Amino acid sequence: MTTFLKALARSVAAAALLVSAAHADEPVKGGTLITTLPQTPRHLNPAVQSGIVTGAPGAQLFAAPLRYDEDWTPQPYLAESWAWSDDGLSMTLNLVQDARFHDGEPITSEDVAFSVETIKANHPFKTMFGVVETVETPDEHTAVLKLSQPHPALLLAMSSQLMPIIPKHIYGDGQDPKSHPRNGQDVVGSGPFKFVEFTPDQQVILERNDDFFIEGRPYLDRIVYRIIKDAAARSIGMENGELHMTTFENTVRNIKRMSENDSLNVTDEGYAAIGPINWLAFNTGQDGPLADKRVRQAIAYALDKDFILNAIMLGLSQEAKTGIHPGSPLYFPDVNGYDLDLDKANALLDEAGYPKDANGIRFALTIDHGNPTTKPQAEFTKASLAKIGIDVSVNSFVDFPTWANKISNHDFDMTWDTVFNWGDPVIGVHRTYDSQNIKEGVIWSNTQQYANPKIDELMNAAGQEIDPAKRAELYREFQEILAEDLPVYWTNTLPYHTIYSKKVGNPPLGIWASSSPYDLVYLKDE
Amino acid sequence: MSDQTQIKARSPFAEAFEMFRRNHAAVAGLVVLLLIVAVAILGPFLYPGNPFDMVWAPFTPPGQEGYLLGTDYLGRDILSLLIHGAKVSLTVGLAAAFVTVTIGITVGALAGFYRGLIEEALMRFTEFFQVLPTLLFSMVIVALFGASLTMITIAIGLVSWPAVARITRAEFLRIRELEYVTAARAGGVRNGGLIFKVILPNALPPIIVQAALMVGSAILFEAGLSFLGLTDPNVASWGQIIGSNREYILDASYTVTVPGVAIFVTVLAISLVGDGLNDALNPKLRQR
Repeated sequence: MTTFLKALARSVAAAALLVSAAHADEPVKGGTLITTLPQTPRHLNPAVQSGIVTGAPGAQLFAAPLRYDEDWTPQPYLAESWAWSDDGLSMTLNLVQDARFHDGEPITSEDVAFSVETIKANHPFKTMFGVVETVETPDEHTAVLKLSQPHPALLLAMSSQLMPIIPKHIYGDGQDPKSHPRNGQDVVGSGPFKFVEFTPDQQVILERNDDFFIEGRPYLDRIVYRIIKDAAARSIGMENGELHMTTFENTVRNIKRMSENDSLNVTDEGYAAIGPINWLAFNTGQDGPLADKRVRQAIAYALDKDFILNAIMLGLSQEAKTGIHPGSPLYFPDVNGYDLDLDKANALLDEAGYPKDANGIRFALTIDHGNPTTKPQAEFTKASLAKIGIDVSVNSFVDFPTWANKISNHDFDMTWDTVFNWGDPVIGVHRTYDSQNIKEGVIWSNTQQYANPKIDELMNAAGQEIDPAKRAELYREFQEILAEDLPVYWTNTLPYHTIYSKKVGNPPLGIWASSSPYDLVYLKDE
Repeated sequence: MSDQTQIKARSPFAEAFEMFRRNHAAVAGLVVLLLIVAVAILGPFLYPGNPFDMVWAPFTPPGQEGYLLGTDYLGRDILSLLIHGAKVSLTVGLAAAFVTVTIGITVGALAGFYRGLIEEALMRFTEFFQVLPTLLFSMVIVALFGASLTMITIAIGLVSWPAVARITRAEFLRIRELEYVTAARAGGVRNGGLIFKVILPNALPPIIVQAALMVGSAILFEAGLSFLGLTDPNVASWGQIIGSNREYILDASYTVTVPGVAIFVTVLAISLVGDGLNDALNPKLRQR
């Protein structure tokens, strides 16, 4: 079913781009797209705030140098063209000539330089622009990013989610960009849609930027993001036609039900760059059984991944064998997937020196889960590990800050977690395994306290390798070693789905999902 | 009237039992309750095994593959969870009622006996707890101190005692003015003796009724907290079964219905017994 829908969605998108396509598939101007946000964004400026709820409206308000298609190929956007220098130490961007901010001011290379500096200083993802030393502006439409070392991750970082071009004449007034009053109100952007209204807990309204630098776009008159926290309420909204589209849906029962509804399209395409992966993390840094990789491997062998994929995820998520999302070109699937094997698990635990006692128990562990939706996995782990003599007790989930505080201070044995790749591995993958990134109090740092000099070396090399083939080779070895060391046991991608009504043309199915510009999205006449 | 002489000749317990026996609903409730208690005590021996074991495919409907009540979202046997959960739910109910009664009687007795400033202070204190929204307050306690069964029991007790305190105080206020109390005081009985030996035994009947009803409402309370996810995930209780299965209510309603019915029947039985006790211990109804 999903495959069919994918094919259908692809053909719709392809057809829409053909000039000679039938009338029904030609983009139509006008209309208001009603879509959703699952939480209230802190504000709407992705330059200083990570996360998908800021990224979705942010990608409409602000244009970025590049945009991506569904094959990870960069496309010109605010930059007409771009080029690496031969030594990989500088990136030259040629901006489109007549681009203007929503207040009519021209978008210049000064703004690009200002944006990069602001992001570098304020965005939580320090590895994105950490190696950018200066941004030179030889003329109004040329910006040159000078790097201290080659940094191929820069290409993916130049997307709307991560590198919005913000106006220097607004945000460069000396106020702290993180708490700038124009982040959430009277936002002046560079993207296809202009700010109309942001009412926390209710809605974000954007309208067409008639002066957008791509002629004839966007197609939509307005986008209304309704902020609906409850997944069931969003699915009801889709089913009764109040909503045109909802993104980042991950409640499998709701997705399953909607996929049986003939008036809706349901697809998991579009989340490869965001790259959400579920895994079981082990605290490898504390004294005890989990410091031994044989114990971690035994635990992986005792967990039936098929059960997680089919019974808990209802077949709606993909298997993830490594820390790189299966949708990424750098994903290397030929590693040990730890298929269910209780004999092997028992043998490994015996070998590691943890025999069963008179009650059949080897040792006890606790398990946490960072999200109420991973509770079934935690309970499943308890039941599964009982079979190999590990007595697991499940800690109940109180709230996210309590969990994050506990995990980031390394006060745990095992936890289920969901972590995002955020495009290039340098941005979202390295942080989990980098021995320099064991930081107390920082969630989604290397909370496993995993340290392997070889892995550090590989990440360092891959982060600077410009040749894509050589880079893929480095990441292959990286994934192989990690699959052997198993600081975390990856099981599946988060079942993120985009659900849209048949009326929606060109839904955002590229690698950045709803964090990509909606200038091509349109509503079909019926 | 020969009837009356006959009644007088009986002990108070026999008399109360006779009153209880005449309330057929209460007797039925008692029978059901005893059955549930028997299941809670004997069940784990008759139906052994770890209730958290995944035994079969998830969402096996009741009656299939030999699983009388079906399996839940992880393929765990609901019958096994239900049987093991009975003990936990009843224990929480009883323990919470005990906490409630202990706090309630202490506060109510002191307030009712000493009057004056002590009464003022204690009753304002009681009112403070009475006006707190009970479910929210207990959620806060459990969220702050961790969702262990002990903490849940204490939380339920902490939010439920004001009713008992008020009843106890009312009884004490009434009884302390009666002649036999004055007589006992004149006879040299100290305050402690007056409270515990003279007044309290006579104040007990309405408190016992209240305590019995408390057991039922504590079970409901525990289920409510579990439904909201505030529960010890390592212990099977009826509320925990409902709470963890509620997401699947549209796909497999029996996973929620079965423990729900168990709670309903148990609380109903306890209420009927409480009602019967009320009849039995209320002297005004004896000549009915």
